[in-house]
Amino acid sequence: MSTGSLSSPTVLAASRAVSRAARGRALILIASLLLAALCVTQVLHNLGVVGAGFADWRPIALAYLLWALALGRGLVLVRRERGHRALFLLPALLFTLAMVIFPTVFGLYIAATDWNLSSLTGVHFNVLGNFTTMLHDAFFWTALGNMVWYVLSVLAQYAIAFGLALLLNAEIRARKFFRVVFLLPFMLSPVAVSWMIGKSIMEYRFGPAATLARLLGWETPAFFATPWVARASIMAMDSWMWIPFVMVLLLAGLQALPHEVAESAKVDGANPWQAFWKITFPLMLPVSVTAVILRIIFELKLADIVINVTAGGPGGATDTVSSFIYREYRDRSNVGYGTMLAEFYLIIIIVFVSILLSVVSRWLRRVT
Amino acid sequence: MTTDNDHSPTATSLGRRDLLKGTAGIGAAAALGAGGALTTFARPAAADEESLRKALLKYPGVGQGTPGDAEWQKVGEMCLGATKASVKPGEFKGVELTFMGLNNQNLHNFLFRGFLKPWEAYTGAKITWIDLAQADYNPRLQQAIATGTVDFDVLEMGAPFEGDVCGKGLASPMPDWVAKQIDVDDLVNYLKPPVGTWGGKRFRVTIDGDCHTINYRTDVFSDAALAKAWKDEGHAGEWGVPRTWQKVNEVTKFLKGKTFKGKPVYGYLDQPKPWGGFCFYFVEDRATGYVKMPGDKIWLFEPDTMKPLVNNPGWVRAIQDIVDSLPYEPADQLNADPGTTAFQQFLAGTGSLLSWWGDIGQMANTSDSSVVGNVIGFDILPGSEELYNRKTGKWEKPAGGVNYAPNMAYLGWGIYVMARVDSDSKKHQAAWSAAAHLGGKDLSLWTVMYPSGFQVHRQSHFNIDEWLAAGYQKDYITGYLDSQRNSYNHPNFTIEPRIPGIFQYYSVAEDELTKVFARKITAQQGADNIAAAWEKLTDKIGREKQIALYKDSMGM
Repeated sequence: MSTGSLSSPTVLAASRAVSRAARGRALILIASLLLAALCVTQVLHNLGVVGAGFADWRPIALAYLLWALALGRGLVLVRRERGHRALFLLPALLFTLAMVIFPTVFGLYIAATDWNLSSLTGVHFNVLGNFTTMLHDAFFWTALGNMVWYVLSVLAQYAIAFGLALLLNAEIRARKFFRVVFLLPFMLSPVAVSWMIGKSIMEYRFGPAATLARLLGWETPAFFATPWVARASIMAMDSWMWIPFVMVLLLAGLQALPHEVAESAKVDGANPWQAFWKITFPLMLPVSVTAVILRIIFELKLADIVINVTAGGPGGATDTVSSFIYREYRDRSNVGYGTMLAEFYLIIIIVFVSILLSVVSRWLRRVT
Repeated sequence: MTTDNDHSPTATSLGRRDLLKGTAGIGAAAALGAGGALTTFARPAAADEESLRKALLKYPGVGQGTPGDAEWQKVGEMCLGATKASVKPGEFKGVELTFMGLNNQNLHNFLFRGFLKPWEAYTGAKITWIDLAQADYNPRLQQAIATGTVDFDVLEMGAPFEGDVCGKGLASPMPDWVAKQIDVDDLVNYLKPPVGTWGGKRFRVTIDGDCHTINYRTDVFSDAALAKAWKDEGHAGEWGVPRTWQKVNEVTKFLKGKTFKGKPVYGYLDQPKPWGGFCFYFVEDRATGYVKMPGDKIWLFEPDTMKPLVNNPGWVRAIQDIVDSLPYEPADQLNADPGTTAFQQFLAGTGSLLSWWGDIGQMANTSDSSVVGNVIGFDILPGSEELYNRKTGKWEKPAGGVNYAPNMAYLGWGIYVMARVDSDSKKHQAAWSAAAHLGGKDLSLWTVMYPSGFQVHRQSHFNIDEWLAAGYQKDYITGYLDSQRNSYNHPNFTIEPRIPGIFQYYSVAEDELTKVFARKITAQQGADNIAAAWEKLTDKIGREKQIALYKDSMGM
């Protein structure tokens, strides 16, 4: 009896815990089933298979929120303390699921359709039709080829930014003022840069840059009329805007370097070039790699300046993948094909950046 | 049609005192005395209308600077007579309308806001505005249509999109009282049905007419030194405004390297840079003289198959003309879109020949940004001494020596009311009242005279005395109006098909043409690529339905 009286509260507690956990599991299961049922019904409704359904998808979004609440409550019931801890992570997780994962996966579905907003016959599943079209699309491959040049221009941006960072790290007058001034281009929007620089300063008739070019002997300073000049002009504008970003990262790295190392090198008789090349540059490699890779990722998304200044011309010479996708979607309402291009480009970027990171980290391990 | 009457504003319940408020109240009161039914006093009496129109032209007057919001509101207030005659003060209180339109050159919606502000104050309705750049307009509209998320009640739209909107049942048919209020019979003939209608119903309140005309510099083409050089170089005929595309090309090549008033002078300005599909209209300008046959409506697609005609020898020749001409134009011409050629080049003094809409003639004298003033002349688009017969597949000498085919590019802007207001009679009335206010006959006189983005579109706009009263010079305005009238009434003008996705066709053509203009591919290859892309697009949109809509839109 005494054993029984001692164990009874434990049993009861255990029983309550089991019951609570069961309630939690049931709550999650029911909420999930309800959400799934609503989603399936709405899909079938939209496909015209069943009559029941909502006029739009807003109730499903609401159902998702309710499901998220039920999931949270269910986790607390099932896992108690660990469930409470999970609640801190759950909102971010569910938000990412709704706003990143789902659109990406849904995008794959759209990419496999012939959805054109003007179509009189609706949306049709065309499996790999868009992919095949893309393989034969000269505009896409031209744009992708241009991206190689744009990405390579990041190296020049890095070199200039490093020079500026060294300058601003030195003991010069009005250093703080120059730091702010050099940051100004980065504060401008690409659209503003397009109009201020591309369409005003570089304007053929009255632009100061064109006037200066004439004074220097270039009789017809048309910055956007021939392929290589146009591409170089776009690179120059893009660089002008983004060099400050790289410069700030490098400047932060330079300021974090231990002064003792540089001073020791000076004591040992190293000249400024040797001090830079043998000490500062290697020590700055991790920061440099971070800055260059971040910049490459941004560069792969280049679009605004191209759209505003050249619309991809002349003859596709300045086109970027993003500006081409923009035209495909905006001017031609080609939702299916545009999404296919975007998804494919995303994969290319992921693969390229992954390989780049892997190669660079191996190289860094070797040289440091 | 009882529905129309049921939905008509409560004209008969309007108080006489209310009617007498406002500039045009006298006209409305006079009309009320004559009857009482809505339709009898929808427009002011003739004498008052005349004085109203005279007064309108003074805001601000030609040569008095660019009008702004103050003038727009004033004009809106002055033209409120028809509204006051048909709507009680505050009758639409509580009604909220959403208006979607453009913000091109700070006009369109900016103007509409000013024009409608007095209307809002009088009727009590409130308007929320969706302003879109030209380039964003098409995708925004297409998305709304395709996803069933039409979130606007009143829409500014070009006729080419009628296939997308009216063809899909998204627009509200125009009530009879609106047709009477805006006097639809006053529209120029080419803007009368089938334009603005779909399935036999009228949908559009026309606020603009469109056609491309040739704008030329009168001082350049009357210059004695250039005339002498023209003769000295052995060119045929006298130095003057070219009337054929062959001569346009010759003049453009002739002027390269020459100076006028101490500055380099250029001939024709092409528009090779893509502009959201609109660039294709300028290729059409050069092509219609070659391919548009008198008595034959067809010039862009075969009507029974939707087979593109864009790669036939006539079109290829027009494209090749641009390629050949570009080296003789300003050095940066390859990066010039239509906006650049009009506002940064021609109105700023560069170039002596430009095909464009009627804005050039309006803005040359009324915009602060223009430096060319009255040294511009106007005519219908040049023609061609040779015509490609698509039926025989041969080049021919046109009857009369030159084949002219003015291009009615875009067919003008209109105001459309969306079908979503039909279920709410008060909202329906308010939306149509707002649309009718913007499409009013008197208000339109002001918009076609001053910078607005809209050009003449009513028969009443061709009264030269009114233009002279506003401050225009007689020769200048006579030439301007003649170029418009002669285009509108030309027996061989070209009308584009108002089919769904028409701007997709134009946009894909623009992309291919950039390769041709950059000399990466030949004109024939480019034209073939365009034709292939158009075939694919037609299949994607739905060929059979597209053929039916094409025929419907062309009145075939």
